[in-house]
Amino acid sequence: MSLEMNQDTRLESNGVRLERTYQRFMLGQRWEHALLILSVTVLLLTGLPQKYRAAMWSQQILATPERLDLIRQIHHIAAIVLIIEVVYHLFHNLYLLFGRRLPEDIFPTWQDVRDAWQMFKYLLFLTKEKPAAGKYNFEQKFTYWFIFLILGMMGLTGLIIWFPLVVTNFLPGGIVPAAKLTHSTEAIVTAIFIIIWHFYHVHIERLNLSIFTGRLSEQEMRKYHAAEYAHLTVEVRDTTEEESGRDAS
Amino acid sequence: MAPPSAKGCYLARVWILLGAGLVLGLVLPMLFYVTAEAEKSNQETEKYCLSCHSDLDLSTTLPSGETLSLFLDPQKLEHSVHSQAGIECVACHTEIKTYPHPELEYNSKRELSRTYYQSCWKCHSANYEKTLDSMHAQVAEEGNLDAPVCTDCHGAHFVRPPDEPRTLISDTCGRCHTKIFDEYQESIHGGALFQEDNPDVPVCTDCHGVHNIHDPRSAQFRIESPDLCARCHADNQLMGKYGLSAEVYDLYELSWHGVDVTVYKAMWSTIWHESAVCTDCHGVHNIRTSDDPKSLVNPDNLLKTCQECHPGAGPNWTNAWTGHNKISLERTPFLFYVDAFYISFTRFVLWLSIGYVALQAFRSIVNRLRRNQS
Repeated sequence: MSLEMNQDTRLESNGVRLERTYQRFMLGQRWEHALLILSVTVLLLTGLPQKYRAAMWSQQILATPERLDLIRQIHHIAAIVLIIEVVYHLFHNLYLLFGRRLPEDIFPTWQDVRDAWQMFKYLLFLTKEKPAAGKYNFEQKFTYWFIFLILGMMGLTGLIIWFPLVVTNFLPGGIVPAAKLTHSTEAIVTAIFIIIWHFYHVHIERLNLSIFTGRLSEQEMRKYHAAEYAHLTVEVRDTTEEESGRDAS
Repeated sequence: MAPPSAKGCYLARVWILLGAGLVLGLVLPMLFYVTAEAEKSNQETEKYCLSCHSDLDLSTTLPSGETLSLFLDPQKLEHSVHSQAGIECVACHTEIKTYPHPELEYNSKRELSRTYYQSCWKCHSANYEKTLDSMHAQVAEEGNLDAPVCTDCHGAHFVRPPDEPRTLISDTCGRCHTKIFDEYQESIHGGALFQEDNPDVPVCTDCHGVHNIHDPRSAQFRIESPDLCARCHADNQLMGKYGLSAEVYDLYELSWHGVDVTVYKAMWSTIWHESAVCTDCHGVHNIRTSDDPKSLVNPDNLLKTCQECHPGAGPNWTNAWTGHNKISLERTPFLFYVDAFYISFTRFVLWLSIGYVALQAFRSIVNRLRRNQS
């Protein structure tokens, strides 16, 4: 993780306040997220009219049998794009992890359970302290793994209902209606989750554009990723202060 | 005063008597005469015509070389609805007023019946005009003069109620549509009709219509055909009588095939579509119960039926079909558990997201208010 050392925020020159920023996402990760938004949006927009084909609004969108075919084709193309992206993401990150070129921040730990518990107490006014988050707080980890698992299931079930004849050659037939049910239900669950949970956290709670800009400001780092900030700045901090603090505790 | 009054009285009496005489002598006989004419006419003209036409050997040869029998069985004619209603021969045979009759101007028997049947219109205009819109009329227009006209189904002279007994309806259609009739007779519907005289099973006209029979091979007929089946098979009371499920139609509409058909029906009813309708799997005239080994949907034949549209289907394929059944633990346990899981999973994710976000929003609003106060 590179730590960009701009000029200190407290230094002002020529009336321009310069702020130190920290890199949060690599360029590749930002592109992956953009691809994810694009493909999931297209999949949702082309999937919903298919799910609700019996409804009037859907029938107006479909309009002609040719357009139904077109919508299906777009859905399939977006699905292929997303599958490729997920497979790339998986192998690329495994490669980086094994090469020790990617820290293991994203994996859930017991600390996340403790953080969630403390957050729960905080939200119920039982404590005044929010948990100090690392690079990814427990909400963000939950979002990542939830979407990761959902996408896996969506891809799997999507392929089953796309190629039911192939699948039933080696799997029991009952898997097809179950896949249809799963695909159709999880799509709605995912949409609900992204709109309520994810959009609240990145748009309403605070506007967090780091997935597009790649960077977080020092202020944001301190406020929302205190543990990560402490970890990154430990070298530049006054070591004596750090040690005296430890002695005191 | 007395003589003039007596004179006036006398004159008045004369006038009354004259008037009464006129009424009795002229008007009343006229009334009686009219009733007598009406009563007598059908008996008399029919009898009069039959005095020649009850001769078994009475016949004529048409220019086509066909022999046209001119014999009418008086006993059968007596039972005709028209004869009983007092409708005379000349009501239809309008050109025959005298004996000897005018020359027949028809070349063939068919030409004769295709001309004479037009007199049905005089009384039965509504049904007559419906037939002009029918498949049979369309075929005739295209040159097939064998296509039936009124008299081919109802008879010409010996017209009886067409649905007494009910089997007569299907028998009538079966006179021409022999192959379909044989299939129908062996089906669950036809079998119940002919063997048990079942009043609930459909006869030909229940599905095809009566006078305005349309082409059942059109896209429109195909897309609307599930509704035909639903008229009986979605009727709880009727299906309950035979221990059949009345939910089949609703569950079909939710199925892969059914959803497709719903969209086509709503949007593109005249465009041909391939998604299966009832008859694609169950058969058309040869519908049998699913436990009949000859049924297209019998478990032993089901895969073959699926393969008609899904050529590559393997033996596991038929299990992908849940039938017209609701998700149940007994029939489809896997699907049942998946469904049960997703019912709770969906609720869990929904309430977790809403609950957590609501708590967070509340806490952050409280924080902001506190900060503003201090």
